[in-house]
Amino acid sequence: MPFEPTSHEVNIEDEQVNIEDDESVSRTMTDTSLEADGATALERVVTSTDANTLGRYWLGAGSLTLLASLVAGVLVALERLDLGGAEVFGSADEIFQFWSAYRVGLVLLAIVPIIVGLGTAVAPLQVGSDSIAFPRMAAFSFWTWLIGAGTTITGFLIDGGLGTPDAGSQRQAVALTLVGLLMVIGGLLGATVSLLTTIVCGRVAGLTLRRIPLFSWTLLVAGTFWLLTLPVLAANAVLAYVDLRGRTAVRFGAEDAIWEQLSWSFSHPQVYAFALPLVGIAFDIVPVSLRNRLANHDVVLVLTTLLGVVGFGAYAQSFFDTPGTPVMYQAIYVVDAFAAALIALALFGGLADTLRRGAGNLGSGAGNRPPAPMVLSVLAMLLLLAAAAVGALRVVDPFDLLATSATGAQMTLTMGAAFVGAMAGTLWWGDRIFGKVSSQGLGLLAGLAAVVGVLMIGVADLLSGFMGQNDFTGASLAAAGSPDSGVDALNVVALVGSVLLLVGALGWFANGIRRLTGAAAPADPWGGHTLEWAADASTVEVTSERPLLDALEHAGSAS
Amino acid sequence: MAAGTEVAPVEAPLARPRTLLVGTAFATGAAVMFFGALFSLYSSVRNDTLAWGAEWFPEGAIELKPGGSLMSTFAMAAITMAWAQYSAIHEDRVHGLIALGLTALLGIAAINQTVFYFNDIGLPIDHNVATTLLYVIVGTHMVMTGIAVLWMGLVLLRGFGGQGTGRHQDLVIAVSIFWYAVVAVYSVIWLFIYVAK
Repeated sequence: MPFEPTSHEVNIEDEQVNIEDDESVSRTMTDTSLEADGATALERVVTSTDANTLGRYWLGAGSLTLLASLVAGVLVALERLDLGGAEVFGSADEIFQFWSAYRVGLVLLAIVPIIVGLGTAVAPLQVGSDSIAFPRMAAFSFWTWLIGAGTTITGFLIDGGLGTPDAGSQRQAVALTLVGLLMVIGGLLGATVSLLTTIVCGRVAGLTLRRIPLFSWTLLVAGTFWLLTLPVLAANAVLAYVDLRGRTAVRFGAEDAIWEQLSWSFSHPQVYAFALPLVGIAFDIVPVSLRNRLANHDVVLVLTTLLGVVGFGAYAQSFFDTPGTPVMYQAIYVVDAFAAALIALALFGGLADTLRRGAGNLGSGAGNRPPAPMVLSVLAMLLLLAAAAVGALRVVDPFDLLATSATGAQMTLTMGAAFVGAMAGTLWWGDRIFGKVSSQGLGLLAGLAAVVGVLMIGVADLLSGFMGQNDFTGASLAAAGSPDSGVDALNVVALVGSVLLLVGALGWFANGIRRLTGAAAPADPWGGHTLEWAADASTVEVTSERPLLDALEHAGSAS
Repeated sequence: MAAGTEVAPVEAPLARPRTLLVGTAFATGAAVMFFGALFSLYSSVRNDTLAWGAEWFPEGAIELKPGGSLMSTFAMAAITMAWAQYSAIHEDRVHGLIALGLTALLGIAAINQTVFYFNDIGLPIDHNVATTLLYVIVGTHMVMTGIAVLWMGLVLLRGFGGQGTGRHQDLVIAVSIFWYAVVAVYSVIWLFIYVAK
């Protein structure tokens, strides 16, 4: 259903038709007028407000920043091979800049934007809307994020970043990085508001919130928690920026304090909120692949909401610990970790049940192999389960893992799960978004490389954590735990994992590029159940969460 | 209309989604979380500082008068905004424009008072953590007020241009949601910083 604000109504009394405020209409008019005016390609690129186009922009830019982040990750992993000194970088501060750049890049410059891109292109179609709400704001948000991402990366590259332990970075560059980060947050917030409003207000008749497809539902839940937590990160960044500029920092802008204030966004439990939409991707893909209904749709709605609640991490700011129990030892933090593990287990159980019930249907499709997106989405859920298990282990006090590389293991596993989920999502909905087919085989291979890579990093870092290796190792043997205990060998495994993850991302990126020149895609290659696969969503009667399957079954029973 | 001609029934308008209001509610929620975070940090750092027996604000540095004056301004602005909202809902264009104009004027007055206060307070921003937090919280709230005033200005321009449709009504209600958040956030600033110090 298109967005039709009230001014679009025909006023019977004065017979005035007022359409100028209707954003969906103005979008179409703008695009048409640009073409009619002979606008240049650049003008069309910069001024496009089409949801599908914006989704592609997010995906393209997000994949490039993902590659940049993963390169930083490989370099840091390479540096960790020799814990006794700085071999790749010049100093511990430089190592720290790249180490923090990898985390910030992976979360805010890569995975979240990729999910936003997928959502921008798919969610409006899933709810039956022909455009995104506030399309101009959605476009503005993308460009703000892009410029912010460029500024952030530049800040890191010119000896800035988000502070360093030995205060060895350029203050002006640190300030620039903070400005970039604020722009990134602003862009993501604007895009999230557009997405959430589309999901809430753009639904066709009959599509109640309980019936919206699970990817859109998880976007709604995750987006709500992004709106609740990203402003907190912005508040931290503003405080650091104001304190840093032009004078000796009082406390918040001190170089050795900035990362400590912001790091909650890149670790347990906040990363669950960022990765949540992968659950929706898996639960949208698997039942369709198996030509089956999801037996526990409502339970999944509740569990994903609970995972969103658990993923609210803005309270876990250890920098502001007051006298008493530090936040990471408080009950809420520990309960959060175990609750996340239980929820992930329950969600995986639901998915496994769907797989078990529909396994017999696999043979009825093309070949007898499960489709690549289904395989990847199931693996993504397994990675999420592994991440939640590591998160739970990490808070067990006797293991003493809180400050160790187990923190990095949990972050990498969670964001890796989100990435593999996004790979599955782009393989699944890519034909709809780009209108061109891509190689499912290459997509699967790239996905498997990423899964193996993420697992190798996660397992190696967890075991290193048990051996006492710090989360940030710097250039000091003191942070390495016990070098004779096998940490060095595990760091080699983590390096190989990092390289494999980078190879997987490169494969995914190459497959995306190949898609641009691929053959035209069929309208509905999977026999989809939800509205994004309908030729005209406004003609579909929605009486359940799978309206196209209903129509198919109805037609089957009628004949 | 000729007698006997059949009149086609006018279709009832669709129940249209109030996109602007929902979007504004999401954005306002995010803005409130921003200040919620700053208040939490203020409270946490204050407790920590006082627990160590250190000074928070210097004695007599934060007076109640400027904060109280600003609070009164915002309270009046909340009432005028309610008036604007009421007028928009009842399609009273003239009163709606007057009320919105007054609210914008009070918003500008609030910004003016804040700037004056910053010049008058005599505490450098880097005096200690308390003053840094004071400047950040009050300063970012001034920015929020400025955004609301700009938004009101745009709605006023539309109103002067003769836009009195349902869309205009939604715009006024949307800007009122944001404005009430501005006033609510200031109320907490007044209570936390000026009263409780």
